[in-house]
Amino acid sequence: MTQQHPLTLVTPVKSGEHDNLNALLMQIRADVQAGIHQSFESLGTIHYARWILLEPKDADGNIESDVGVRLVFSSNYDGEEDAHLSGLATLCAPFIDKLYGYCVDYPGVGDRTTERRKEYLSRWRVKEDAFFVGAPGRTLPQIRQENELRNYVWNLLCSGNWGGKSALDIHRALKEDVLGKQGFQWARASIKIPGIRWLGMVLLGVILLVLLPVIIIWILLIHFLFERTDEPLGLTPSQVSGAHVKELEQYEDLANQNQFTQVLIMKPGKMRLITLKALMLFAKALISFLFVNGKLMGIPTIHFARWVMIDDQKRMLFFSNFDGSWQQYLGDFIDKSGWGLTGIWSNTMKFPRTRFLFTGGAYDEEHFLAWSRYFQVPTAVWYCAYPHLSIKNIINNSYIRNELFRDLNEREARQFLQRF
Amino acid sequence: MESLELSDIQGYIIRGYKYMQYSRYALLRVVDPVAAKKFLRDNVGDVTNVTHHAKTNCLNIAFTCSGLGALGLKNSNLAYFTREFREGITSEHRGRLLGDVGSSAPESWRWGGPGNEQVHLILMVFGKDKQTALSYYARLQQQFAPGLAEVLQLDGQTLPMNKEHFGFRDGISQPIIRGSGRKGPENDFINAGEFLMGYKNEYDVYPDTPILGEEQGDTFLLPFDAAGTGKKDLGRNGSYMVMRQLEQDVKGYWEFMNEKTKNADGSVNAEESVKLASKMMGRWPSGAPVVKFPDKDPGGQSNDDYFTYTDLDKEGLKCPFGSHLRRTNPRDNFEDNGPKESLRLTRRHRIMRRARLYGDPAVGSPLNYTPEGEVGLIFTCFNTDISRQYEFIQYTWANYPKFKELYNDPDPVCGVKQDPGEGVEQNFTIQAEPVNKYITGLKRFVTVRGGAYFFFPSVTAINYLSTL
Repeated sequence: MTQQHPLTLVTPVKSGEHDNLNALLMQIRADVQAGIHQSFESLGTIHYARWILLEPKDADGNIESDVGVRLVFSSNYDGEEDAHLSGLATLCAPFIDKLYGYCVDYPGVGDRTTERRKEYLSRWRVKEDAFFVGAPGRTLPQIRQENELRNYVWNLLCSGNWGGKSALDIHRALKEDVLGKQGFQWARASIKIPGIRWLGMVLLGVILLVLLPVIIIWILLIHFLFERTDEPLGLTPSQVSGAHVKELEQYEDLANQNQFTQVLIMKPGKMRLITLKALMLFAKALISFLFVNGKLMGIPTIHFARWVMIDDQKRMLFFSNFDGSWQQYLGDFIDKSGWGLTGIWSNTMKFPRTRFLFTGGAYDEEHFLAWSRYFQVPTAVWYCAYPHLSIKNIINNSYIRNELFRDLNEREARQFLQRF
Repeated sequence: MESLELSDIQGYIIRGYKYMQYSRYALLRVVDPVAAKKFLRDNVGDVTNVTHHAKTNCLNIAFTCSGLGALGLKNSNLAYFTREFREGITSEHRGRLLGDVGSSAPESWRWGGPGNEQVHLILMVFGKDKQTALSYYARLQQQFAPGLAEVLQLDGQTLPMNKEHFGFRDGISQPIIRGSGRKGPENDFINAGEFLMGYKNEYDVYPDTPILGEEQGDTFLLPFDAAGTGKKDLGRNGSYMVMRQLEQDVKGYWEFMNEKTKNADGSVNAEESVKLASKMMGRWPSGAPVVKFPDKDPGGQSNDDYFTYTDLDKEGLKCPFGSHLRRTNPRDNFEDNGPKESLRLTRRHRIMRRARLYGDPAVGSPLNYTPEGEVGLIFTCFNTDISRQYEFIQYTWANYPKFKELYNDPDPVCGVKQDPGEGVEQNFTIQAEPVNKYITGLKRFVTVRGGAYFFFPSVTAINYLSTL
């Protein structure tokens, strides 16, 4: 099974080139919006990609003078990193040259070979701390193929006359029809859809149980040493800069999917860092054991998400690609996983006041929403390979593919037909 | 439970004025702020509050953001109103969310749009019949000059059996504000803070409320804010009011239903046509819920709101998942959550609806669907968080085609796009065994003709505004 991976590049921009680079990014944004995205398409493996301009601000929004502006690239792709970088360095070369020409130390015009480009990009690569895939193992071509299959079968169901037939008969007829189609031969091979790994969960439970006394003491320390004096942002949504939110909204709800980028600043001190790192490990374990079928902590709309620490662990980047609107997404966060998100994000500056690490925080709805917007940064360019598909659609399509060629009983055939 | 200050709350948010058959909404502009404030001062005593059980007339008032500014509320204080209200309903992003594009775009609106004369406030006048309403209005109108000028009048009425123009009994399911003294199904009781500022909402926190950052006017009149910032609160006992004028294409609507259900010889099959329309609506023309009567309208007049979906119809086989009713209030069957969790979550996305009809008081049906002239509905709703309540329902539950496990299904009544873009399908799926039925090529039968977000203040706040 080909796995999906994240690539994060954080590249310093040449001083004085910020405005030029921004103008180019806006041009690319307009092109992508107008459907010009061959460069991304040409690799055939990119699910999502984005660029942001990272301005070195502190938690109060003041520019820190010692770090310059950086160009951050993020992609979600199929296969190995080396192949992905090669793809970017060859098929996207004109694109990469233009953008990274504004960045520090990019090879001069005469020196731009595939190897040099690749070497340049990988120099700025940052390893993620945790990464979530909504539909693990589903490659881009597969997602598209399976959707074609679903649409084809849906059309059969829509136009056929099925009166008097049993679900089993209908399933058989659909199967035969598809078997006769040259274009769908690939679908005969069923794919493995990951399931919950119970052994891992049990192991995780045992480890947590053993560590419980330490965890309790740790949380008490966090509470008495930090939580009561940490300064929350304290704004309500109406008090967040209108111009900032307007800029974010300009690039939202253009399709039925959206992107979310946050730049967070860690609270000072080793204890907060250790807490965050421990929770990242915990999240990683849950992602590989439990959140394997389209839901991250119960949220059923996330295609990909990642957490990346940069700047000597002083800043954390969070990226996600999700279905629906910002309000729905943030609401889901509070409703479904307020504790988890509070545990992780409360180690960053100005988070709404928490109690014992996991309570308060995100459950303080008004202040949490304001805080979320405050630390969100505009995404300059965003590319999505399948804006018309929700993560639920993608997962459902995989089940359709598998169940179409399986021998079903009447009850299973009924369930299969309800997938359309 | 918090007790509500009922005599300070304008009546329309809690009482539907069912017996007020005629209404005139006057959209007004402030010409002379001093005289306009005098008008408010002179008439604030006549504003209908919840405890005031008027028999003949009611009067309520609401303000747009520019209206508050025109009365003299400083920008530093306007800044505490929610962004949705300050930006108004016509921002570009909001147009995308709400589906106000194409012929529904604000640019072609009759009022509230960027090309229209500015609306500052709305005077909502109700009467037990047309004559009562209009003569009461005439008395108020005499006092408009020199402070206020009329921008537009929107007259509305309620039809027999409370039907809307497509032919369905409307306004049956409503949230009940905890502490308001009203009765109804337990699941409909919602914390007051979802509809009134100054009370706790369904997250158990106080909703964002416009506090007074900078002293102005007679602040002695105002209470302190409930969240305890020590500032005076302009929002307490007030709400935000969404108003949209929606033209209904009754002819197109029934021709579509007839076409999709016609007999083999091409003739209209009225029974099937009504059935399809009802499956899309989630209630029959009588108001009877489809989930309880999946095959046929029991007739009469139904107020039935005592039902949930998980127990009656978990598979959507009676009332389709994509029906207007089931989408815009999924009750105990929201996504794949359990019944209790669903109810907890859906309580955070409720609105208090108030609708008045305009135009020919005709009610459509498969064989009679040609009203005279333009007809439609003046949709009004109240909420304290426009983004999480009204806009969420309109976008995430109605317009968004991926609702539940669906692929290409917008709300067939209020979420269909006029021009969905190339290759984009818009369907309605009727869950059935063994094979679902698909109604393809949905069309939009509602056109937005105007709209605005208003601040619906407490009686105290109206009084305060007159002292600016």
